[in-house]
Amino acid sequence: MLKGVRRRTALTVLVSLTASMLAACGSGSEAGGDLTAEPVTLRFTWWGADDRHKRTQQVIDMFQKKHPNITIKGEFKEWNGYWDSLATTMAANDAPDIMQMDELYIASYSERGALLDLNEAKKHLDTANFDQKALATGAVDGKQYGLPVGLGMYSIMVNTDLLAKYDIPVPDDTKWSWDDLKKIGDQVSKAGGGQVFGVQSPGINDTAGLSIRARQQGKSLFDQQGKVVLPPEIATQYWQYILDLSKTGVAAPPSVTIEKASAGLNQSATATNTAAFGFWWNTQLTALTAASGAKLKLLRLPGESQGKPGAYYKPSMFWSVSSRSKHPAEAAAFVSFLANDEEAAKILLTERGVPANLKIRDAIAGQLKETDKAAKEYLDTVPVSDPPRITPKGASTLDAILKRKTEDVLFGRTTPDAAAASFIKEVQSEVDAAK
Amino acid sequence: MSALDELRQLRHGGVQVRKRDNKAAFWFLAPWFAGLIFITVGPVLASFLLGFTKYNLIQPPKFIGFDNFARIFSDERLHNALGVTFTYVLVSVPLQLACALGVALLLDRGLRGLAFYRSAFYLPSLLGSSVAIAVLWTQVFGAEGLINRVLSFVGIEGRGWISDPDTALSTLIVLNVWTFGSPMIIFLAGLRQIPAVYYEAAAIDGASKWSQFWRITLPLLSPILFFNLVLQIIHAFQSFTQAFVVSGGTGGPSDSTMFYTLYLYQQGFSRFDMGYASALAWFLLLIIAAFTAINFWAAKYWVFYDD
Repeated sequence: MLKGVRRRTALTVLVSLTASMLAACGSGSEAGGDLTAEPVTLRFTWWGADDRHKRTQQVIDMFQKKHPNITIKGEFKEWNGYWDSLATTMAANDAPDIMQMDELYIASYSERGALLDLNEAKKHLDTANFDQKALATGAVDGKQYGLPVGLGMYSIMVNTDLLAKYDIPVPDDTKWSWDDLKKIGDQVSKAGGGQVFGVQSPGINDTAGLSIRARQQGKSLFDQQGKVVLPPEIATQYWQYILDLSKTGVAAPPSVTIEKASAGLNQSATATNTAAFGFWWNTQLTALTAASGAKLKLLRLPGESQGKPGAYYKPSMFWSVSSRSKHPAEAAAFVSFLANDEEAAKILLTERGVPANLKIRDAIAGQLKETDKAAKEYLDTVPVSDPPRITPKGASTLDAILKRKTEDVLFGRTTPDAAAASFIKEVQSEVDAAK
Repeated sequence: MSALDELRQLRHGGVQVRKRDNKAAFWFLAPWFAGLIFITVGPVLASFLLGFTKYNLIQPPKFIGFDNFARIFSDERLHNALGVTFTYVLVSVPLQLACALGVALLLDRGLRGLAFYRSAFYLPSLLGSSVAIAVLWTQVFGAEGLINRVLSFVGIEGRGWISDPDTALSTLIVLNVWTFGSPMIIFLAGLRQIPAVYYEAAAIDGASKWSQFWRITLPLLSPILFFNLVLQIIHAFQSFTQAFVVSGGTGGPSDSTMFYTLYLYQQGFSRFDMGYASALAWFLLLIIAAFTAINFWAAKYWVFYDD
């Protein structure tokens, strides 16, 4: 054990001293060196569902055909198990070479020295066709720890079949306010007779809604240094709104709301046609349309026209390379293939989000399904502002804390005021603890 | 050859056989020893050392003295987790043992098809801590689950039992009580050990069934009861899977199913705070040791040994 620790210490020093990354045993190559002709095996891990596994495997096969000496071993899991197992393989010094990374975790991993600065492998990794703003979301202090794969935007999905059934017009999303959503949601709930509700409550699976609330008022969750700067009154307003939705019956009763939201996309209120409006990422339109069988439409979030636009491009995920990879150059070449190859893109399509690579986005436009097109169009047309700072190191439990506070508020265990104060305190202490 | 020689030779040979046996036993045990050392003892010792460090799984651990242990006393979420765990242990174990004893008494009366019933009641404890059953539980206690359908027949409106913080823990308690099979089997074996003559004598003296139970069955069964109690308390403190699966790994809603072990797990694998998680593991060991010690102390006053 001691030996392992010493080796790791030496490694950390090495990374910080030299720009080029040397592999642990000295037998590997440098990120900036030439691709080897020797047989090389790379491990590649991602989370996702069946459809993703099939598409990804096809792309792996294509890459292996082009580089017969490189073998890519795919390892895939579902979201929760993915992060547990990534943490353990990291600890065991056995991390996969290439991994699918999320915005929530990228700082936690990169700032602990686990990820390779992709700039070191520029020779093999082409990023010329990437949207610069998108590219910036994968960078920390000028180092590119992740290459954004696809982009998503937080949005409202409305079930137009349900609205038509109750004879309620689809609201004009270029003007609507948060109160408008409440009002129209109330109409739906009244017409739905306890079976169908107006709004699927936000605040359970994603912090984006809170972040956008703050952004609409010119504030944010974190400042550039990663300190929590969310004003308590905005958080209070956020939870008061959620509580109002629940109390007035615009949203389903708390226990039903929590159950549906925790059970995954296919059991959600949107997928089961039991709520007319839901908060989702625009790229989930295809999956939700398939699950619900109803006609769903993407709307802008309420309040976007009253204050500043809070919407932003969120990288749906990143490609990252382990800093301990023995073959960083080859790993970068594979990432480049995933990000730039048109043939690969035609298989992957928008399954991982609307491509952040603009050239690729155009190249696949002709092949997209109706719902994928709608998601892409939403991304192309809805106004956005600069993305928020990525979730700072230590705050990867952000969503979990938000969910707990929402539950406390919904079940009357705390007030929106108190939830806001303790949310801010708790997130800040997570960030501090990781320093 | 005299009888004495024969005996000597026999004894001599016996020693040799025994020596050979020992060697063979060593080799047969070797895989188990390897497992014990590398998978149990090693990590246990490592976790003790890690308890004094700040260790985020990626960078080398840093020694920080007793900080992790000091944090145990100021960590409010941990105190909530302790409350949840104590409630779970103190409610579910007595209920579970009462069910186990009750069913064992029924089965002991010599039903036809006893073997079938015994297996049927034992089955849940084989499955109880499995992921499959926990998943089943979320279905049974869900808003549109079995329980609510039954309730709706009698006109009671149900709720999402698992997603309501007031009832979520109760569903896990019910799950644990349901797995009363293994203590039941032990009770059954214990009941068989009680000589029938005691009951015959008591019946002749005119003792009712009730007082036979209190004055004969229970005292003679008390060592078994004690054994089951100690074992099930330790077992309940270590429960993890049920809460993990039923709450989707969150311990929610509102931390109402946050078992100690689940909290420990989250500290280690979601918050990358393996140092604190290690300290928590050792603290749990102390808690369990304390409970077991109290049990052994109290046993002096109520456990009756016949021999």
